[in-house]
Parts: sequence; structure tokens; C-alpha cells
Amino acid sequence: MLHVEHLNVAYDTLQVLWDVLLEVREGEIVALIGSNGAGKTTLLKTISGLMKPLYGSIRFMDETIAGLPPHDICQRGVIHVPEGRALFPRMRVIENLELGAYLPAARAQRHHMLERVYRLFPRLKERWRQDAGTLSGGEQQMVAIGRALMAQPKLLMLDEPSLGLAPVLTEAIMDVLAQLNAEGMTILLVSQEVQQALDIAHRAYVIENGRIVRSGPADELRADDAIRSAYLGL
Amino acid sequence: MLYELAQSLTSGLLIGGALAVLSVGFSMAWGITHVLNVAHCAFAVLAAYLGYWALNRWGIDPLLALPIMLPAFFLLGVAMHTLLIRATARRAHDLGLATMVLTFGLGVVMENGMLLAWTPDPRVLKTAYSALTLRVGPVIVQAPHLIAFGLAVITIGALYLFAERTFMGKAVRAVWQQPMGAALSGIDLDRVTTIAYGMAVATAAVGGVAMSLLYTFDPATHLSWLVYVFLVVILGGVGSMLGSALAGLIIGLIIGISSVFIPLAWNNLVLSGLLIVLLLLRPQGLLQR
Ligand SMILES: Nc1ncnc2c1ncn2[C@@H]1O[C@H](COP(=O)(O)OP(=O)(O)OP(=O)(O)O)[C@@H](O)[C@H]1O
Ligand SMILES: [Mg+2]
Repeated sequence: MLHVEHLNVAYDTLQVLWDVLLEVREGEIVALIGSNGAGKTTLLKTISGLMKPLYGSIRFMDETIAGLPPHDICQRGVIHVPEGRALFPRMRVIENLELGAYLPAARAQRHHMLERVYRLFPRLKERWRQDAGTLSGGEQQMVAIGRALMAQPKLLMLDEPSLGLAPVLTEAIMDVLAQLNAEGMTILLVSQEVQQALDIAHRAYVIENGRIVRSGPADELRADDAIRSAYLGL
Repeated sequence: MLYELAQSLTSGLLIGGALAVLSVGFSMAWGITHVLNVAHCAFAVLAAYLGYWALNRWGIDPLLALPIMLPAFFLLGVAMHTLLIRATARRAHDLGLATMVLTFGLGVVMENGMLLAWTPDPRVLKTAYSALTLRVGPVIVQAPHLIAFGLAVITIGALYLFAERTFMGKAVRAVWQQPMGAALSGIDLDRVTTIAYGMAVATAAVGGVAMSLLYTFDPATHLSWLVYVFLVVILGGVGSMLGSALAGLIIGLIIGISSVFIPLAWNNLVLSGLLIVLLLLRPQGLLQR
């Protein structure tokens, strides 16, 4: 579904991704793990069009999307829940969600999708009138995921959705992702909660200093001694 | 004295409406699109001339000319944003500063164009309702004041409904509050910003017609209007429509009150002084939350 090949990305003159190779197949949850500053966020930003690659190809459903503007990539069904959530703080929860369905195809389905988001996150239905900026961190993350779902993603990319959340909430978010995947959603997940991410993922990639250093089935990586000591603290 | 004060407060409030509608687009452009359009009031004066021209050439009241001017000014704004401002944005680090210089030049060009077309003679708009008055209790309200105020209420009300109720309006607010989040929601930032900018320029046409109902104007007038506009926008908070509305009314009231106590010629001095004090005390604006 998503094929990233030989991807090189730089901030001005500082290159941070080197020859990245990554694939996400339809129906999978793929985890991307790596320490701070490894380049995870940069990779997602490049896939969603917020950054332009120096070199390399990104194909989604057999079409090249590298270098397209974000709204165009969004229209093709690649939806990115960014690090820090990027909600509209002085707009209501409901307005944040509706804006996720800004594009015509999604807009036509928005009432139906809203029902589905409320079923996943009943808390949002209670808080629908509140400004997004006044919500707790966990609720904001629900809005961010809800807004992405409103766009009817074919591929959902999440950048550290559990950052700064209490363990219960982290677990709840992971459960939702697993449930979405069970209903057919393809997911690319960046997470610091390596254990939980590997628990729900089918496959995983490890990125270090801008290069993919390992990849394979999630079980295999979970059992790997080097991974266990570096990322799982075991 | 008391009667005089009531009279001045009333006309001050109505003038405030005109100032609000003159300012709201400038505030939008600055807040939402980060363009400091110091030619904003040159567009307003252009609209004042076009209204004047429509009346004296063809006998069409400026109010009736507005429905034609609005889309024309909108397209002018769209063209300006697409051709000039986006090109500047690609090169500049500080868009506010770069566009200020750019639009200052544009303002000079427009002023000279208007000088050539219409001479430096001050114009007075004489409409069918110029001399009409309305008695409300002891206070006399002049029809042009009331109409200017009505234009402001309709325009700012429509902008507010657009921003609160329509998908496009919400997209504009989204781009303003969180551009990255907006882009990731499928909003085309360039397109939405250009539309918002076009609307901002279109409101300058309303502001210009409203002001021409109240004051004489000539091509250089745009600079003195710009002082009012800066004052209103700083007071109301950059980008806030309701802030502009409220601040316009406050400045109008101040103009009204000060006209009772100080000579008219000092009016601009007082307002400019107020602007400086305001910038020193609360540069983020009085009404900004
Ligand atoms: N705006 C920027 N300008 C310059 N360099 C940047 C910028 N953003 C990130 N970098 C650098 O790029 C590298 C990769 O950063 P990135 O944010 O992609 O890492 P990450 O894996 O997401 O890290 P984290 O776990 O902290 O979120 C880092 O060395 C970082 O310092
Ligand atoms: Mg990151």
C-alpha cells in the first residue's frame, strides 16, 4: 500500500534521513520505533507532505506522492495525526472533528463518521461543545484521532499518540488502534511505548540516526536481545 | 452641555461603526494571512471615489454600486495575493515586514493613480439622503451616519456568520489557529488564505463607502484613515472581528467625547497619542483574550 524507497530528507543543510526503506501493506499495523531525534517525526512529515524529500520515492496505492502538498496527500487517504496533536484550540470539539471531514468525499459521510467517532470515544460526545484547548491531554488525543478518522483514512499514521498520557489512557488508545485495525484500517504507528506498540503491531522498523537498522515481524523484534536492552529496558 | 454630550456620543458611536468596518479587513489580513496591508485604506479611498463617480456620472447611489464593487475588490485582493504576496512569502522570512514594505509601495502608486484620475481636490459626497435627519428624543441623528453604521453592522455580522457557520469560514479560522493541523485535515492553505485575503480587501470597499458618507476625502486621505485603523486593530486585537467591532465603537466614542472638549484640529493628535500609549502599555491589544 505504502512504499518508501531510498528516502533522503534534510532540514536546510542538515540531513536527517538516509536512504530509508519502508513498506506498509494493506491491513497491517506497522510500528516505527527509535530513540529521541532518530528521525521518526521527519519520516511521517515527509510522507504526509509537510516536508519535501531531497531524494527518493514515496508511493501510495501505486501512485507517487512524494513532493505533493499535504491536502493532496490527505485526499488520497493518507491521514497523519501529528506529534503534539495540532488541534484548533479555540474551536469546539465538534468543529475540530468536522474539519477533519473538510474534503468533499469525507464531508458527504460526516454524520455517519461522527457517530462512529463518538462510539469509539464516548467522552468526546459529552464534551462536544467545549473548546479543544480546554480539554485534558488524553481527551485532546482522542480529538486528534477522531479528527483523522473523520477524513476516512486508508492509511492512518500516528506520531506518539500516547506521549505524556497516563498508562491507563495509553492502553485505551492502543486498544482503539487495535480495534480500528480489526475493522480493516491500515496503521503506521510511531511510539515511545515500545512494548505496547510491538504488542499490537504485525511488523516493526527500528530507526537510528536517520537510518532503518532493523525490521521484521513484531514478535521477532520483541524477542530480540538487542532490542530488549535498547528499547524495552530489559 | 449634557445635551451636547449626548449628541456627540451618539454620532461618535455611529462613526465608530464606520471605523470598525474600515478596520475589520485590515485586522483579518494581518491576523489570518500575516499580511500587513498598509494600502488597505488606499483601497477604501478608491472605493469612495468609485462610489462618488457612480453617483455623479450615472446617478447611481454608492450603496447600490457596492454590490458591484464587492466582487471586484474581492478579485483584486485575490489577484494581489496570488501574484504579489505569495511570491513575497516564498522569499521573505518576516512576511509582516516584507508585505508592509510591498503594500506601502502599492499605496503610493494607488495614491498617485487617484491623483491623476481625480485631482487632489477634496470630494464631498452629496447623496439624496445627505441632509436627512432623524430625531430620537433630544438627539438628532443624521441619515448618512445611520447608514454608515448599518453598513458596518451588516458587513461585520455577515463576516461573523461566515466564520462561525460555514465550512469555508471554519477552515479560515483553522488555518489561523493551527496551519499544520489545517493542512493535515485536507485544507489547501494557499487557497483558503487567498480567499480570506480577498474578503479582507472586499471589506475595504464597504469601509471606504461608509467613511465617504461621513467625511470629505482626497487621494491622500488614506494615510489619516490608516491611523484610525491601526488604533482600532491594536485595541481590538489583531485578527479578531468582534474585537474590531468593539474597538471601533470605543474609538468612535472617544472621538465623539473629545470633540466636545477639545478643538477638532487636535483630534488626530489625541488619537495618535493614544495609539502610542496603547502600544507602550498593552502591545497585544486591550481586548485580546
Ligand atoms: N525544524 C528542524 N530544524 C532542524 N533540525 C530539526 C528540526 N526538527 C528536527 N530536527 C532534527 O532532525 C532530527 C530528527 O528529528 P525528528 O523530530 O524527526 O526525530 P524523532 O525521532 O521524531 O524524535 P522524538 O522521539 O524526539 O520525537 C533530530 O536530530 C532533530 O534535531
Ligand atoms: Mg518525534
